[in-house]
Amino acid sequence: MAPTPPTDDELNTFIVAQLASLGIDLNQLPAGTTADPVTGSPGRDSVLASLRSFMRSTVPALAAYQMPTPDAGDPATAMALSQQPAPVLYPSISTEWRKPR
Amino acid sequence: MTDASTDAQLPLDRLLDRRAFLARTAALAATATVGTVALPGLAGLASAAPSDTSAPAVTFNPDLDRGAAYNKPRESAMSDPTEWTISEAAWMIRHNKIVPVELVQAYLDRITAYESTYQAFNVVLAEAAVKAARQWANRPHRGPLHGIPLAIKDNYFTEGVPTTANSYLFQDFVPPYDATSVAKLVVQGGIVLGKTQMGPLATTRATLPNGQVTTVNAWTPTNPSTNPGGSSTGTAPAVAGRLASSGIGTQTGGSITSPSNAQNLTGIKPTMGRVSLAGIVPLTYTRDHPGPLARDAKDAAIMLMAMAGPDPADPRSQGLPPVPNLINAATPRYDGDNLRMRWKTRIGVLPGYADGGSETAAARRAFLAEMSAIPECELVEVPFPDEWSLLTGSAFNNVRLPERSEPFMPYLRSDLRGFGVSVTSWLQGALLGANGWVTGQRAKLLLLDRILDQIFSSCDVVVQTSPVPFDIVGLPEIAFPIGFSGGGVPIGTILGGQPYAEDRLLSVAAAYQAVTDWHWRRPADPPAVDPSPTASTAAARSTAATPSRGRLTAEEVAELTQ
Repeated sequence: MAPTPPTDDELNTFIVAQLASLGIDLNQLPAGTTADPVTGSPGRDSVLASLRSFMRSTVPALAAYQMPTPDAGDPATAMALSQQPAPVLYPSISTEWRKPR
Repeated sequence: MTDASTDAQLPLDRLLDRRAFLARTAALAATATVGTVALPGLAGLASAAPSDTSAPAVTFNPDLDRGAAYNKPRESAMSDPTEWTISEAAWMIRHNKIVPVELVQAYLDRITAYESTYQAFNVVLAEAAVKAARQWANRPHRGPLHGIPLAIKDNYFTEGVPTTANSYLFQDFVPPYDATSVAKLVVQGGIVLGKTQMGPLATTRATLPNGQVTTVNAWTPTNPSTNPGGSSTGTAPAVAGRLASSGIGTQTGGSITSPSNAQNLTGIKPTMGRVSLAGIVPLTYTRDHPGPLARDAKDAAIMLMAMAGPDPADPRSQGLPPVPNLINAATPRYDGDNLRMRWKTRIGVLPGYADGGSETAAARRAFLAEMSAIPECELVEVPFPDEWSLLTGSAFNNVRLPERSEPFMPYLRSDLRGFGVSVTSWLQGALLGANGWVTGQRAKLLLLDRILDQIFSSCDVVVQTSPVPFDIVGLPEIAFPIGFSGGGVPIGTILGGQPYAEDRLLSVAAAYQAVTDWHWRRPADPPAVDPSPTASTAAARSTAATPSRGRLTAEEVAELTQ
């Protein structure tokens, strides 16, 4: 059964905590939704809204992606047989060391 | 049992390139000491002057100095040096028809007249450029870039000259050395005329770090709402508006191709690694590509050939195929008077590329028709690879974001407001977990292999409907003009190529430009306004800003960011 999607409050807590664990304090930004008139930096509430949207879109979309699996009939067998593409930071450069010698 | 050949065989660990390793180590050590180097003041301006203290990896490349690099100026352009392409100016300099300081001064005159409208530059190095031009006049000829004034995006390090990346975070940063690309251009004879405006930290169209719009499209200088393209925004009006002969930018999500298309220029984003990223303020390290914004394919080839090649300071640039002669590639081929493709070329056409009733669609159809009429050029329909929309869409594009947050952690901890309107995507990057990031790296290889198998199995180059997919996988793209809208705004297109196929891309653009004249068109001069001081700076601009040009909000920047 899929877990219950997080509420706004739960996501706010997660976001603030995750950033704090990295040493980033969102309180550096102006309170509320009004941008800093000098630097244009957005208000904390505006940033949190944007970050909640990111957490609800990009993060689950990447998590849900299923790499191609071999055609093995039984999905469980196919998943077990799957040899996923290697993570490659620079795919175009990799063509040079993947050339047949 | 052994024989002589097996006895002579060395273990592989004895075959490592020790010299390259030592060079890398030295480069890294130099980089690591940047923070402790006593930075020279503005008076240094060493990057604009020929210097004997260039980085050791940068050497003069005599292969640029070939006959194909020089073209006598068109009769219609002969009287105005700022109309000349690099190739034309190089011909005039080589034949002693003009000296570099006259060329520099011609551009400085236009900067004085029009820079306050275009706002193309963060800083203009007038005095240093004149000094460099005088020095080049007394030195042996260096090739087609000898004495050519260039506009440099403000995220390239320039020794002794502020390099702000148009951000509060770097507003006082004065690098102690040139980016490899800049050093390579200078050693070939190029003159740094100024540093150009850009989207803050290379994110959007050029604005002040607080979002206030600065730079306009040179084709609609009185209408700031016309998209000038970003983030290499300022380089585009500098080159199109004839404030510099040529220029350079960086591309992470269309930042060279977009301003090139928007302002009637020919820009090339090379394959990842083809040009060193050493000495460039990073945005997204797997997707940042340096490259030129030029007036035609020949100029783009001259610039790229000067910039390209291995650099011990950037391992991504090493172990790649040698750089071919791009200038020859960008020279149209004729059999007698008949133009032919330099190499037989199949242009892949993606579904929907030229469909519809828009002016862009009409220009694309005309472009394809023009190309198909050139002997040895063939159009072929190619499909979008499997899961194209998903693997090049928002979520997988966002996989790049941790790459911008990670190197900026000290700034994120201490100075969030220093990111101005651009802060949101850096915070998004800090929130994306490692699982998603690794999935994204797997998907990049999957996407590349599908592009190679499903597109390039039946064509040599392919039209692009967005620059982003090839930015994700690091494949080369060339942008060039194919027409104008009814309102006089340029229409351009983008072609993508296989790894290291910059030569093929340049050859296609050169053939098209041999039968069309879009690339020769220049924007009308803007209405006269009060001349700006040639040494205008972003800091000065922030106090004398132009509110009527509008302002991007942080929310808009989060949507638009490269």
